[in-house]
Amino acid sequence: MKRVSPVAGALMPTTSKRIAGIAAAALLTAGLASPVAAEDGPIPIGLSLTQSPPGAVIQGEEVLRGHLIARDIINEEGVLDREIELHVQDSQGIPERGRSAVERLIERVGVVALSGQHQSSVCLAEIDVANRHNIPYMNTNCWSDDVRAAGYPQVFNPNIYNSRVAEAMGEAIAQLEGIESIHALAENTDWGIGQAEELGKYLAEHAPDIAYRHDLLDREAEDFTPVVQRIRSDQPDMVVAIMLPPAAYILMNQLAEQGVVPSDDTWLFEGGGLFSYPDFWDNVRDSAVNTIFFDLYHPEMPLSAFGERVRDEYVERYDGTPSRLVFQAADSLLLIAEAIRIAGSTDGDAMIEALQGIELEGSRGVITFSDEPGVLYQQWVDTPYVTFQVTELDQALEDTVFVSAPGVEVNIEALAR
Amino acid sequence: MMTLELILQGLVMGVFYAMMGIGLTLIFGILKVVYFAHGESFMVGAYTYALIAALLGLPLPIALASAVVVGALLAVIVERLLIRPLYEKFGDWQQMRDEYAIIVTFGLSLFLINAANQFLGPYPYHGPALTDIARFQFGDIIIGGHRLVAGLLGLLILGGALWFIQRSFWGKQIRAVAQNRFGASIAGIDTRRVSALVFMLSGGLAALSGALLVPLFHAQPDVGMVPALKSFVIVVLGGMGSPIGAIIGGLILGVLESFGAFYVSYAYRDTFAFVILIAVLLLRPQGLFGERAREV
Amino acid sequence: MNASHLRTRREFLVSLVFLAAVAAVPLFVTSGYLLGIVIVAMYYALLAIAWNLLAGYTGQFSLAPTAFAMIGAYGTGMASYHFGLPPAVGVPIAILVSAVIGMGLGRIVVPLRGPYLALTTIAFAEIVRHVARNAHEYTRGDFGMSVPLISSDRVMAFYLMLALLVAVQVGLYFLLRSHAGLYLQAIRDDETAAAGRGINVIFWKTVAFTVSGAICGFAGAMYVHFSGLASPDIGHIFETGLVLASVVIGGIGTMIGPLVGGFIVQFAAEGFREFGLRHMLVFAAMVILFVRFFRQGLWGLVKNAWDRLFGQGAARPARQVKEAGE
Repeated sequence: MKRVSPVAGALMPTTSKRIAGIAAAALLTAGLASPVAAEDGPIPIGLSLTQSPPGAVIQGEEVLRGHLIARDIINEEGVLDREIELHVQDSQGIPERGRSAVERLIERVGVVALSGQHQSSVCLAEIDVANRHNIPYMNTNCWSDDVRAAGYPQVFNPNIYNSRVAEAMGEAIAQLEGIESIHALAENTDWGIGQAEELGKYLAEHAPDIAYRHDLLDREAEDFTPVVQRIRSDQPDMVVAIMLPPAAYILMNQLAEQGVVPSDDTWLFEGGGLFSYPDFWDNVRDSAVNTIFFDLYHPEMPLSAFGERVRDEYVERYDGTPSRLVFQAADSLLLIAEAIRIAGSTDGDAMIEALQGIELEGSRGVITFSDEPGVLYQQWVDTPYVTFQVTELDQALEDTVFVSAPGVEVNIEALAR
Repeated sequence: MMTLELILQGLVMGVFYAMMGIGLTLIFGILKVVYFAHGESFMVGAYTYALIAALLGLPLPIALASAVVVGALLAVIVERLLIRPLYEKFGDWQQMRDEYAIIVTFGLSLFLINAANQFLGPYPYHGPALTDIARFQFGDIIIGGHRLVAGLLGLLILGGALWFIQRSFWGKQIRAVAQNRFGASIAGIDTRRVSALVFMLSGGLAALSGALLVPLFHAQPDVGMVPALKSFVIVVLGGMGSPIGAIIGGLILGVLESFGAFYVSYAYRDTFAFVILIAVLLLRPQGLFGERAREV
Repeated sequence: MNASHLRTRREFLVSLVFLAAVAAVPLFVTSGYLLGIVIVAMYYALLAIAWNLLAGYTGQFSLAPTAFAMIGAYGTGMASYHFGLPPAVGVPIAILVSAVIGMGLGRIVVPLRGPYLALTTIAFAEIVRHVARNAHEYTRGDFGMSVPLISSDRVMAFYLMLALLVAVQVGLYFLLRSHAGLYLQAIRDDETAAAGRGINVIFWKTVAFTVSGAICGFAGAMYVHFSGLASPDIGHIFETGLVLASVVIGGIGTMIGPLVGGFIVQFAAEGFREFGLRHMLVFAAMVILFVRFFRQGLWGLVKNAWDRLFGQGAARPARQVKEAGE
């Protein structure tokens, strides 16, 4: 068989010109269409979030909802007599797509600030662009400590962070009685492993008698039976799951399938803030009963007037309980709007300066940013969090049992087994 | 005891693998090309079961049957639109047919995954279990209720499929086309119909496998990717084109994974299969039950 | 042989004109966003060219091009992350590592053909990706590892990538014109006959794999120094699909096809963002339609159109040669 078919005729010059011409024309038309941000038109703000696989689409949807609600609330009064306009790009959870998405937002749309990203790897790619263009970047939900360690003045973090989550979990665990052994299961990401290791460090320091081990699980996997069998035969007093859906749902169900949880012998502590996902109860059944959850929002948590507005709007529009992501997203946009208001313009430097000194009542407390270098850089250090226990199937968030919060002792009496 | 349990869990998982593998091996048998969109039949079956059983609340047997029908239908449409040129148009199409098959089915896979994401949403769907019994316990061995029931059902179906391929009139035609398409068509076999039948069978079985696993895996757009890759391994392990090989290959892979994950590494659970695939291709390219030489 | 040389030469010259046009882009375009898109397009073009050397010219249908890109990416990424080595050291290490692994894989798969080769290489690619995702101590896990930028100046990064692309295209041209190129194509057309004429099939197949692996590794290393992150997504099976699509859309077994195809696929992926959420859906549909109805690729379409309009006399012998070949 012969694939080669000789070319006939001297077609070279014309064809090549044609190809080169098309390429050049395409680039030129694209390049010349630069954005012109009108001075009195709406203020364009860019959102880069996941809307299609392989990324975390569920999170992306919640983040988007939070921004939409906050936009409408903010636009009731407007900012500097202008409205806020959101421009959404799909980053697919792929760093490269995120990078080009924010470049597109900045250069083609002319956005004055960026917000919305919720996957650490994508954040890490995007903050370089924000840094290069000197545009404020609101990190809505990237927990990885590396985002702050980069030390970019454009990046602000109104959300929780890895080391703090581990500390919060450790505090709660150390106060529970009768726990001698813990088996943590972490997904194979910086987030999962980072948190599992931080938790180990915390426990080694504050509860050295607890035997702690952690294993790595592949978040693409669909069957975790072998590790569940191992746990069943070891019978630890507590299993800590640090994973995200859908793998986390599968893992929890398979723990229940083998009868590891719910049981009188083993607690399950969930560290990924899963309960507030809108599809949680559609996917997780028995294993959630008596599980202790870490989260950033609980109805018993005091909300500001803005927070209550966001919650009510969410209930009305989407007929469900808002998750922490909705509040984080709403806070992100509120911070940007406030920065523009204080700065009196959409100038990058002025907005960054405004944000560095900001003291803003967000949805769940007064937001300020630390200036300590390292993992706390421009972080809202006192992000409120909560641990609570689910005691029944299909329980609503407001009916779950409040266990602890910053500065509040663990309410051991309340815990069911 | 743990050994027995690992074997049992592995065998059950192997049944689902085999249901995926048997269809792929038949497709390979009659076309000699790699079919990349097999995982999407699995995905379609998973969604159909979850949507019909959980959202519409129809009885589970109806949900299972619909999954099979939808999976089979999808595969037949794909065969008609994209695969048929491979054997109908000779000449130009004989060149690059491996490339064509891989790229077109790959594109299809990408298309279906994104279509599912677009129209069904990113949220995973959970389907109801086939039994209310949470788990069965035999001495120290514990196995999930749904897992055992679905596994046994799958085993029955596999037996039926094997009988169909080896003994029935249609099965004989399939094997005739697999041995020699040209010869079979001279002998009066309608090779088009046989191809359509093979795709229907393989799509239906993959969809059923997906439906049976929904209570364990959850339906989501890319749920079929891991099973699809596994089914390649099974097909090579069992010998390309051999249905019995696919069944035994599936069971072996299930058990090996079970032990590998438990004793070697949880994180690399899905990696073992690929190591096995390379080892088999290098040491025994015809697989356990294949008769064909390695050159196709 | 003369016809083949002539054809290669013509395609090569066309590709040089195309590259010259690309080189002029920064003169007209200052947007970093658009330059970034062209840089990524050059990355895909490099992978497509490397894969075309294997599949189009040597007949080895590997499904591991992006695995080698990932090996290159992590080669330089780990050199930088763990040992603080600069790109000037990390990139050569990445090329060396991917060439050696390419040689090993190439030697192993010599006896395999068709679907068997495809499955072995996809298994290899998945193993590499799983290791990158799960060997967290060394690779930082599924989120990937930060890599320093080779240059914060995008125009600089642009020309570095272009230099690599030109070098690869020129190198490939001389390879194809040499005896080696003839051997490779002879092996593709009929392996048994080639062996019968005294061509060392094992050696030359391994060479093709080594060179292809090295180019992919080089491209992957340059790419991460541009994007700043080495992640397992580089080796995702979808990425492999984009590379195959580039070659097929451009025209397989030609010098110009993969180059232009890489640009088209990247531009299309970016352009379809305009469709909002559906861009991946549209893109997948386009791949299917192209492969189903325009199998000779764009280069083939252009060629046919030309033949029909101006070259009737010359087109006829071409068809005869093809039929004789079958």
